[in-house]
Amino acid sequence: MILLSILTPLEDLLRNILEWLHGSVGLPWAWAIVALTVMVRLLMVPLAVKQIHSMQAMQSHMPEMKAIQQRYKHDKQKRNEELMKFYRDNRVNPAAPCLPLLVQFPVFIALYLVLRQFSRHPPAGSLSWFGGLVPDITAHANAHWSGYLLLAIYVGSQLASTYFMSTTMDKTQRTMMMILPVAFVPVIVRFPVGLVIYWVTTNLWTVGQGIVTRQMMPKAQPPPKRSSRTPPKSEQPSSDGSAEATEEKAEAQPSQPKRVRRKKKKARR
Amino acid sequence: MTHIQRLPSYLGIGLVYAYRYTLGVLFPGGCKYHPSCSQYAIDALREYGLVRGVILAGWRLLRCNPWSLGGVDYAHQQRLFK
Repeated sequence: MILLSILTPLEDLLRNILEWLHGSVGLPWAWAIVALTVMVRLLMVPLAVKQIHSMQAMQSHMPEMKAIQQRYKHDKQKRNEELMKFYRDNRVNPAAPCLPLLVQFPVFIALYLVLRQFSRHPPAGSLSWFGGLVPDITAHANAHWSGYLLLAIYVGSQLASTYFMSTTMDKTQRTMMMILPVAFVPVIVRFPVGLVIYWVTTNLWTVGQGIVTRQMMPKAQPPPKRSSRTPPKSEQPSSDGSAEATEEKAEAQPSQPKRVRRKKKKARR
Repeated sequence: MTHIQRLPSYLGIGLVYAYRYTLGVLFPGGCKYHPSCSQYAIDALREYGLVRGVILAGWRLLRCNPWSLGGVDYAHQQRLFK
């Protein structure tokens, strides 16, 4: 409860912004929530830009990173450690930091409190969305069939945003992150529809940002064809050390002559 | 330390696990460090108790920002409490 009272200023701020969006800008309440979500995410865009730059800088280090991933293929712990060390040494870290994520939680909880307040003391103006398709955005999501439609969209958007956000995770963790949101549906069903609107909007924003980020990346070189060259599995453990050393060289070398050639072409023009 | 003395830090560790399986799933993200911030919090709570563990975890979270470099950083490498 102390935690909730700490959030009171933020709650007031969000309510004021919503009231301004509804009263002065003239948006229906549901669209005001969408607009508020977009505003929150716009504030976080500089952080995303920082990460995109970092990811772009990382592209030139791809061969070395692949080598590390290959070397510690079977030791998740060690692989992670070496990758993080590599990022730090080269001053590029494509992983998302935790702190901005933490900023989102208070906003989310404060919005929940605002909407709960709305459902107790309904504000003036229509609480419906899409001309009555969603009758009341302060009601629980399970109060009307449209709530279930919204929940389905939410789950889809959640899975898509997890897909874009969890690029640094390993497969098992990623699978768990994809399954759990579905398990949460029975809980989310009791959340106000407005909160689900916030969630869907912020997830879709994440997806959009992820797509834009991927398009801004220089096209990744096709992965080296390994299948024909890799020795059969029984041989792998014995030739570990030497095979990897040559692999690293083989991957690092072709990139350098290419770069030189490119420079020459530019000079001629 | 006995288990009774460690009880407060167990509470903290439980909260971190609760976060992992609820908010951590709903707001997916990464971490710039190894081990991740939540794992660091669990390690710090285990090794240094509730109060110092929370301070260490809080400091780590503040360091896990867009301007930091990240890297390898274990709880036992901390230099805040000697």
